Amino acid sequence: MDKSRVKLKVDNISQSYVVGDEVLDAILNVSFDVYDNEFLVILGPGNCGKTVLLNVIGGLEKPTGGKLYLDGEEIVGSDKRISMVFQELALMPWKTVMENVEFGLQIEGVDKKTRREIAQKYIDLVQLTGFEKSYPSQLSGGMKQRVGIARAYTSNPEILLMDEPFGQLDAQTRYSMQEEIQKIWQQEKRTILFVTNNIEEAIYLGDRIILMSKSPGKIKEIYDIDLPRPRNSMDPEFLAIRKEVSENTDLAL
Amino acid sequence: MIKDKMKNMNEEEKRRYRLERLYKILPVISIFLLILLWSTVAAKSDFPSPKETCDRLMLLFENPIKGKNIFGHTAESLIRISIALLFNWTFGIAFGILIGWNKKAKALFTPLFNGFRAVPPLAWIPLITIWFGTGEFSKIMIVIFGSLASVVVNTQAGMLNVDQLYIDVGTSFNANERQKLFQIAIPSALDAIFAGIRTSTSAAWMVVLAAEMLGSESGVGFLIVRGMDAMDMPLVLAAMIVIGLVGALLAIITQYLERLMCPWTRVESN
Repeated sequence: MDKSRVKLKVDNISQSYVVGDEVLDAILNVSFDVYDNEFLVILGPGNCGKTVLLNVIGGLEKPTGGKLYLDGEEIVGSDKRISMVFQELALMPWKTVMENVEFGLQIEGVDKKTRREIAQKYIDLVQLTGFEKSYPSQLSGGMKQRVGIARAYTSNPEILLMDEPFGQLDAQTRYSMQEEIQKIWQQEKRTILFVTNNIEEAIYLGDRIILMSKSPGKIKEIYDIDLPRPRNSMDPEFLAIRKEVSENTDLAL
Repeated sequence: MIKDKMKNMNEEEKRRYRLERLYKILPVISIFLLILLWSTVAAKSDFPSPKETCDRLMLLFENPIKGKNIFGHTAESLIRISIALLFNWTFGIAFGILIGWNKKAKALFTPLFNGFRAVPPLAWIPLITIWFGTGEFSKIMIVIFGSLASVVVNTQAGMLNVDQLYIDVGTSFNANERQKLFQIAIPSALDAIFAGIRTSTSAAWMVVLAAEMLGSESGVGFLIVRGMDAMDMPLVLAAMIVIGLVGALLAIITQYLERLMCPWTRVESN
């Protein structure tokens, strides 16, 4: 992480929805900087607008207020340099693993031979070699998530947004995927914004943790995690941070 | 042989093996029972027996009606539904995609289409006959009217049910509207579209018979009417059996086609 270089600047972002006849604020005046090649975790209880924030950054939603700057320039809507890892279900069941992974490049109009080569590289990186022709329904939850990660990497983004990617996995698979994503990130450095509601996962993965308060979502605290990687969740320092964060976290309803 | 095969199996495997054999035999038994029942009834009344029906079918080869044997008449009917279905699949799917994807088109066409859909295909026959006569064109027209709705309705439903999540994936990769339609929405609606293709095929096969029964010189529907006019019950029965067999065959073919075109659905059912 290079603290001198701000990759993404989130400036005073607010998002609200009209529900019935009242206006509900999902997130309110959220501002923070994301540094280059940083693994930034956004942590918060359910319903605190973490996903909304990510959708705004990914260009899926238009915020009611605030601005986003990528490399100092304002961005509006979905930007090519930002890629998203969705929840498990976002793999297209009618496409094979290979076709899912190369989807972004296909949209860009990259020719078949080139995009197959690039996609293969990332399929290998997430250790799915040999499953290129499988359909998502033939894969386990962890494998599907790997496809999602490979798909996001393949379009060669500068920033990766991950929305509770491991939320639907069982505990064992979740641990191994956390290790995996960390390895992948160390091999292929990108700026990652990772949303989770799991404190341990946040401390295990994050260079920094942005803790959000419950609705309307606001930034409550930002933690720098300076522990060496790979981290050990039994380490006294790890546990101390965990306790601190845990006591500061709002309970979800 | 069977004893040899079963020797090396444990109890559970044996049980499963026997069950599987039973599942294969049961359909044969039901057909056999039907023929038995039919023969018994035929022996005690003047209802034609299976053998008479079969003989009547064979006689058709020596003594064709209007110059065609049973294959000729079946082919005539199949050609009619093929032309109608080709039209329906082209325009019906296109129209279904339009009113499933485009909100304005949906609002514009839905009332008209619902009205059209509510009129049963048989109700069109008098109008079409008065207007276009009883020629080939009218019959194909009747089949088109009778099987268009299921294509459109299924396609539209498929397009309306495209998961927003897949569209979001498209947005996040900067797909334009055209790419979202052709790369995401249509493929994801493909199984619904195929459901439309399947139902329209069986509907077309039913409607073509009705069309042929009302003034025609060929086709299996014509054979039935000819049998009725001539009080030739074996011919009526023979035609009915052929109709049933062809209908079942069409269902199998469209199902096979679906598996061929949507390989991922095959994977899921395994």
